Amino acid sequence: MNLFDRQNLLVIAAGLSLGTLGVLLVLWGNPQNSGICVSCFLENSAGALGLHDNPRMQYLRPELIGFVLGAAAAALLGREFKSRGGSAPLPRLFSGIFLIVGCAVFIGCPIKMFLRFIAGDLTTLTGIIGLVGGVWLGLKGLAAGVHFGGSKRESAAAGIWVPLGFLLLLAFILWPPGFLLHSTRGSAAQAAPILVALAVGLFLGVLAQRSRFCVTGSIRDGLLMGHRAPLLWGFLAFLTSGFLASLATGQFHPGFYGQPGAHLDLLWSFLGMLLVGLISVLIGGCPFRQLIKSGEGDADAGLVVIGMFIGAGLVQSWQIAGTTAGVSLYGKVAVMVGLIFIFGNMLLYRERLD
Amino acid sequence: MAGYDRFDILTGCALLVCGLSLAILLVSGQKENSTAVAIDKAIEQQIAYQARIDFLHRLYQPVEALRAQGQSSSALLKLDELARRYPQEAHGQILQGEILLERGVVAESINHFVRAVRLNGDYVDKLSPLSRRKEIQQLVNLQLPLFLARAHKKPQNLALQNTLTGLYYLQSRLAGGCE
Repeated sequence: MNLFDRQNLLVIAAGLSLGTLGVLLVLWGNPQNSGICVSCFLENSAGALGLHDNPRMQYLRPELIGFVLGAAAAALLGREFKSRGGSAPLPRLFSGIFLIVGCAVFIGCPIKMFLRFIAGDLTTLTGIIGLVGGVWLGLKGLAAGVHFGGSKRESAAAGIWVPLGFLLLLAFILWPPGFLLHSTRGSAAQAAPILVALAVGLFLGVLAQRSRFCVTGSIRDGLLMGHRAPLLWGFLAFLTSGFLASLATGQFHPGFYGQPGAHLDLLWSFLGMLLVGLISVLIGGCPFRQLIKSGEGDADAGLVVIGMFIGAGLVQSWQIAGTTAGVSLYGKVAVMVGLIFIFGNMLLYRERLD
Repeated sequence: MAGYDRFDILTGCALLVCGLSLAILLVSGQKENSTAVAIDKAIEQQIAYQARIDFLHRLYQPVEALRAQGQSSSALLKLDELARRYPQEAHGQILQGEILLERGVVAESINHFVRAVRLNGDYVDKLSPLSRRKEIQQLVNLQLPLFLARAHKKPQNLALQNTLTGLYYLQSRLAGGCE
């Protein structure tokens, strides 16, 4: 493998940028260890749009909009915008909901989990084991013939709706309508300046689209191809740059106790991330990658994104989300229902050689 | 027109009319006050929060008055009475924690602070009018090393372990992060 190949350099640049900017966004105002967190951003944005009533979690995050619109712009400019879809729509919609359930019980998406880890949060260790375990199980499923069915090329209109939806959300940020809610306290009240957050989101959206960077994809490729996997190098660049940025900015506080936005229900951190890893492999990417793919015209990923928005509202409304105090009974039940859902689908969507 | 039949032209016209109507609606809607209903929603949220704070101040005013007179036992009795009427209210827990801390009942005081913050994160929030962040930060900074040393000496003491877990919880909440 040539490390200096153009595609490899792009992947490494995406990893470096994600790690560095993930830490810098905290300095610029985002909550501690949550510079970039797709699930937290979705929960905040769902709250801002009135999908849940937690007054401490309502803010339309510009980064999220930047990811999708940056990816759409890069795909259009690179002539890679292709409308496609039609693969198991309802399972994908529900997969999006359960992706957020797993993330919310853990408190963070895979990107945030590693940002927490490189900032010294040792409670993430069981989550990391869970995510890798979930990816490994997903790979076993794929090898055994589990497949949601291939997507088909569709009319150009099919893939534009999610980017257009995010364009509407951008309009809401620029000209806030009266119904848009904005927390004045809690973690959603902590935010980087709008233009900075939007610029970072657009930049990372472009890079992620060009490089196909994905956290669970990196682990998957690492398990399959070892050090020859380009995404694995991007992932290592993400960890290294994030760690160095944490050290340089004084955000590295190694320890098990007293960590920001962390709980000690380690079994449920493990199971939450197992659910995320497993679903991500079966639907072709982590929550971040789903956003990027939806920007490229992938209507299947678009349905996952809509599911994630629904999930983001539900985890707050139904008290599924984990808190520093731990995971509620509802959260534990939701993770188990998610695991039943995905294992059930693995049986139902298995292509058997008769 | 070549390639377009009547259906295409009619649908295109309908699309154009709807698009123009939407544009007019958005432009004129901003001049007139058509967003009034939506604006009320945001304001109502703020009013409800402010009303809640005023209600809490009024509800617990007798407790504060007794504290100011130095009658902490009576203040605790009044808090017990209020806790029976409002068992899920965090503010009573905060006041109970403060009074117990003044009286030197540290472990019990920590338990009340933990219960309060679990019920309502506003107490560790810099931006909230209910914030007790400074006091809780001081409590954690002072008591965590002491309870850590005691728990090391008596690892079998469950009450000490519980208080220590509570202090770690408060430390974690003070550290910030997403909720």
